[in-house]
Amino acid sequence: MKILAPLKGADEVLPLLEAGAGEFYCGVTPPGWEAAFGQAAVHRRSARSAGVSGLSDLERIVRLAGDAPVFVTLNAASYPAGAIPHLVEFGRMLVDAMGVNALIVAEMELILALRDGGLADRVHVSSLATCRNPGAAAFYRSLGVSRVILPRHMTLAEIEQTMIPGLECEVFLLNDGCAFEEGTCSTTHAFRPYCIDDQVGHAQGRLDERYAFWKWTLNNCGCQTSRGYMLGPCGLCALTRLKHAGVASLKVVGREAPLARKLGSVRLAALALRLAEDGATRETIRDAVVAERGAPELCENAHLCYYPDVWTDARPQPRQKSPSAARAGSRRVVPIRVEALPTLSTAPGESC
Amino acid sequence: MEYGLRLTTPGDVPADAREACPAGWRDLLPQGCTVALYFGSEFCEDRLPDLDEANAYCVAARDRGLEATLATPLLSPAGLLNVDRLLDGLTARGWRPAVVFNDWGVLELLRERHRCLPRRAGRLVNRSLRDPRAYRDAPGGAARRDGSRFARLRVLLQEQGVEAIETDADFEGGYLGDGAECGEIPMRRTLHFPFTYAASGRGCPLKAALYPDGGGFAHVFADPCPAPCQGKPLSVRREDTALPHWRAGNTLFYEPPQQAMRTWLRHADRLVIHAMAAA
Repeated sequence: MKILAPLKGADEVLPLLEAGAGEFYCGVTPPGWEAAFGQAAVHRRSARSAGVSGLSDLERIVRLAGDAPVFVTLNAASYPAGAIPHLVEFGRMLVDAMGVNALIVAEMELILALRDGGLADRVHVSSLATCRNPGAAAFYRSLGVSRVILPRHMTLAEIEQTMIPGLECEVFLLNDGCAFEEGTCSTTHAFRPYCIDDQVGHAQGRLDERYAFWKWTLNNCGCQTSRGYMLGPCGLCALTRLKHAGVASLKVVGREAPLARKLGSVRLAALALRLAEDGATRETIRDAVVAERGAPELCENAHLCYYPDVWTDARPQPRQKSPSAARAGSRRVVPIRVEALPTLSTAPGESC
Repeated sequence: MEYGLRLTTPGDVPADAREACPAGWRDLLPQGCTVALYFGSEFCEDRLPDLDEANAYCVAARDRGLEATLATPLLSPAGLLNVDRLLDGLTARGWRPAVVFNDWGVLELLRERHRCLPRRAGRLVNRSLRDPRAYRDAPGGAARRDGSRFARLRVLLQEQGVEAIETDADFEGGYLGDGAECGEIPMRRTLHFPFTYAASGRGCPLKAALYPDGGGFAHVFADPCPAPCQGKPLSVRREDTALPHWRAGNTLFYEPPQQAMRTWLRHADRLVIHAMAAA
């Protein structure tokens, strides 16, 4: 397993390599893009705040990375008419002329165009494409791509079941969660993240407070520890299971973050990865991470876990049980009665 | 124009599909005959019917001369197995429902194990922008009606035996094309009406409400849910948009401006009328 580190510039490469990064990813905008396609996005993240400054810096990145692969994002959810041929040629130039190892792509039309252009084996399917089961993985494998990046909202068991031979898998390891599944959020952060202002808004005890707390943890708790570590979503305690599952790559999120944050995240990941490679238990990894990072209270109830099912035997129990639980076999069914729900209103013109 | 009906119970199928549409939208709808009864879920695997419920929809569809059409969402590995079993059960009872897939794994399943079932590409195959806030400055949408954006996707779908593409009204336009992009066998084009989804995921607040503090959300992604949202969308207020919003469990829907919806109607062969915002 390799730690995949985010980059915004060439100056970050050597410190991150030293910290334990084994792969890099970054975004770069094709020359002339804005003149041709205006403000249309090339990447999921803002090119201005998260992108590499230009091709010359990318060239330096590839050179400094040496044997560590460099991947470039072309992962907007959709592109304007006419953009696809432009992006295919840009991708070909990145791979053939600049030494970029793979392109991270979300949009199906671009994936298919890269396949038609003979570049399928240089495509990593973005998490925005929501590959969540072995059938979807088989579909992407049939297109000839080399890797899929599994979405954030999967359990460890689901990751294990989704991995198939002949296709590398990358998973999220640290920082920056999403309240909605990234691939099924059809809004744009250009207007501010849509989820931030989402509230249930009905009298339901402390539900909105709990919802806000969850979103706060996904947003890295809005802070860092006094030792400079982020307090965001984290999959470190799951590393031993991810290793056994055969996961190839571990994504640290946050291209736009300052180098200090990236270094902290990669150092912490490397510490946990060394333990996992020695067969450490989840508890050993957690204790080591907390000792280095601090903030033990956020680990106590798996608040920050990308994969809280690593602690499955210690999870909170549902409020009540009902006969319907029997129907679900060993899976846990949460019973509910309609009268226990918040006041519900119907859509206008309801007919059913 | 032909119509599909998406109801949350199999009974009370109206003679005219337009009667099922929320009142404020009916005047936009052209005349047409109802041809399909949709059931299942496009957004939540816990909302998929069991075999008996699906059978009831198939019976209701047959009795009214409609094509039973099972909508399926993005799926976990367990969910994919459940859909496989459901299709096994339905075909064993002699049904041949059309299947709307939103997950490429379901398309693989249809190709490998249920070849006889008609297949339709669901609205999540179209990942175009649907942000309701984008309409603040462009109430008609971006109006880039260029179907060439999806040329390869259409060919891929046709090669896989997909007979129709479906979507709701996205902001960018063009996904349904003009019907001529695929040569001699044009793909049928379906528009879901009138609700557009904005965002969906597994971190469902209504599901979380069933758990004590410290539970819910990411802790229970894989837990089955009794779907407290079913048939009862919640009105959602947002300060950043005046468009009506609805929460159906794990998914937020909104009603796009009528000006934008009118432009979509011209590009559809079928309208699927949703009686309410439902995942």
